[in-house]
Amino acid sequence: MKVFSNAETFNYSWEEVSTANWRKYCPWNEKSTHVVAVDTISRSMDEATGILRTERLITCKQSAPDWLKSLLGGAMEESQVLETSYVDLANKTVTMVSANLTFSNLINVQETVVYKPLNEHQTQFTQDAKITALCGGWQRIKNSIEDTLVKRFRENAIKGKEGFETVLAMSRRVFAEEREREKMSLIRDQASNIRMAAA
Amino acid sequence: MSQSLATQCNELKERYDTCFLKWYSEKYLRGIGTAENNECQDLFKEYNKCLKVALKERGIDKLLEEAREDNKENDAVYFGNKK
Repeated sequence: MKVFSNAETFNYSWEEVSTANWRKYCPWNEKSTHVVAVDTISRSMDEATGILRTERLITCKQSAPDWLKSLLGGAMEESQVLETSYVDLANKTVTMVSANLTFSNLINVQETVVYKPLNEHQTQFTQDAKITALCGGWQRIKNSIEDTLVKRFRENAIKGKEGFETVLAMSRRVFAEEREREKMSLIRDQASNIRMAAA
Repeated sequence: MSQSLATQCNELKERYDTCFLKWYSEKYLRGIGTAENNECQDLFKEYNKCLKVALKERGIDKLLEEAREDNKENDAVYFGNKK
């Protein structure tokens, strides 16, 4: 088993980060292009705790090195990951647990991501991935598979941070514009009410 | 928003995602979102109906069932303890 760990700080509130997290892989994110689709397959809110639980199916397209492809039987073009997330509003924590669905008999990837507020304006991101090659055979091959995936995680983490920063900046802009629009339309409504009352 | 893995579900997904994001930011985060006042429920059902067909066609439904079995422990950790 190999472990990949990473921590980042985002200069946005936990509320902004947890909202933008739902559209982390939208077209604003030009970096994480290996994610081609994100589907919500279930969502429920626990009445007692207020925890929002979501299952998302993440579809990735990323070519593997040739030697790994031949080992896994070629078609590694598209793979799926099941991400289960828990938003705990009371404790201001988002926890996302992800596991690979594709090749799960050969490789086991378990990733945990946590978003917690550092203060009112900053959010801490921590990521832990445990990668285990399950296939029988030489330890050397297992090690190579695990090392390749750790390397991939590291590359994707850098791109993921850059991409998410863009999504966060865009989200803040769009929300500000929306609030402005709402304010303007409220003013317009009030003005027309006054005109009508005067007429 | 991101794409659906099944292009035929894209429109339904977009409608649901937009509704959810609004609910999340305007209600859930303000502590006034409950399971009952979730106005996105019907949109989710439509999107899910479309998606289920696509998942079955690709054999992903079976993989999901297996993964969910493994996930029960996580539910206990992130849900159960806080009850």
